[in-house]
Amino acid sequence: MEIRLRILLLTLLLGLSGSLSGCATLRHLFGHDTPPPPGAEAGASTDRTTEDDSTPPRVIQPEVERRKVKVPRIKSQDIEVGGYLGTLNVEDFGAHRVFGVQVAYHVTEDFFLQAEAGRSKAGRTSFETLSDISLLTDNERWFKYYDMSVGYNFLPGEVFIGRNHAMTSSFYILAGVGATDFGGDSKFTGNFGAGLKVLPTDWLAVHVAVEDRVFNSDLLGVNKLASNLEAHMGLTFFF
Amino acid sequence: MRAPYLELHTGAGRGYPVFNVVERDASVDVLKRYTDWFKVRTASGVEGWVSAHDMEQTVLADGTAFHYDVGDLNAFTSHRFEAGAFFYGDYGGASAVSLYGAVFANPNLSAELSVGEFLGRASDGTTLDLGLAHIFYPQARLAPFVMLGTGAVRIEPKATLVQPSDRTEQTAYVGGGLRYYLTRRFFLRGEYKEHIIFTNRNQNQQVDEWKFGFAFFF
Repeated sequence: MEIRLRILLLTLLLGLSGSLSGCATLRHLFGHDTPPPPGAEAGASTDRTTEDDSTPPRVIQPEVERRKVKVPRIKSQDIEVGGYLGTLNVEDFGAHRVFGVQVAYHVTEDFFLQAEAGRSKAGRTSFETLSDISLLTDNERWFKYYDMSVGYNFLPGEVFIGRNHAMTSSFYILAGVGATDFGGDSKFTGNFGAGLKVLPTDWLAVHVAVEDRVFNSDLLGVNKLASNLEAHMGLTFFF
Repeated sequence: MRAPYLELHTGAGRGYPVFNVVERDASVDVLKRYTDWFKVRTASGVEGWVSAHDMEQTVLADGTAFHYDVGDLNAFTSHRFEAGAFFYGDYGGASAVSLYGAVFANPNLSAELSVGEFLGRASDGTTLDLGLAHIFYPQARLAPFVMLGTGAVRIEPKATLVQPSDRTEQTAYVGGGLRYYLTRRFFLRGEYKEHIIFTNRNQNQQVDEWKFGFAFFF
């Protein structure tokens, strides 16, 4: 009796599984999901095309509208503007405070064009101090310059403050030309230098730079190449 | 994201380390651009820099490719604005530095404005030129051009000379030069200008000017 009941239940189960094999989940369950051979697929598709040819054009046109995406203008930050403060050693006239402004345009990640303008007030030469004779008027002691330079970023890296803060940094070298107004005369000036730039955020940079400004000077009677070394710290913002 | 993965750098430069990656089919928000780098934010809030080259492999929400123009020879041929700086200059024997900017009406014709300063043994001064430039073969990597225009010059003779007063005179110039495309948005530019300075003396003055510098277009 019990065996008969079991056979009956098993037959019912088999019958059910056979009739439900169309159901995707059950097909998957019973391993019926093997793909049909490629020939069969091709045959099926050709059947479909012949069927499409014979059928009249569809009455309902699919109205699928393409999603329109409006791309907002991506803000660029290629321009860097800032100021600096440091020390300028005016040859023969001592080292004094210098301040200036700088603007840079970053053309690529490597190259940038930079313009600087600064001023410093030179002191007295040793001769003036000892003899009490003034070679220049007070106004002529203003050392005013501007330059246009090409810069190159290299040695990119990171600097770390403590355990949790890292800031990107980069060294750069630059060279350019400009003019210097000093001692009642304007001089064509060449400048070259190097600096370190640290970025606490993407829009702010702290610069430490050393530059030399070289021009032909005949201020003290003989024509010579005057070398004016400048070291400064600056703060710039990216726009 | 369509590429297998997108690398996020800590800074905007190929030398900065990769600290995160975005997997395929994930999306990012583009925050801003610095030269050829884009700052993006991932779905999980991580912010990093992606190169323009890598961004080209992403698609917008409508399936079209993300495109950013880093500059090529086609853009060199046809663009709207350009600007540059002349690092070498000789204005009638005096050393000179100058800047210029130009607006293009078509690939051949542009209006140019240039300002400069010259520093010589006998005199210093500033120049301002406004004129037109015509480029032949703008599609070539090395393209010649001619210029024609007018301007003004302020001449400040050195105090030791006989005529110490500063003077401002009107000028006109013709000139020509060469442009050579380097890479991306960069090109070199060298030019010669012959300036005629209209003086109130019997003879007008002629000044030759040679310049060489870097320029970029955008």
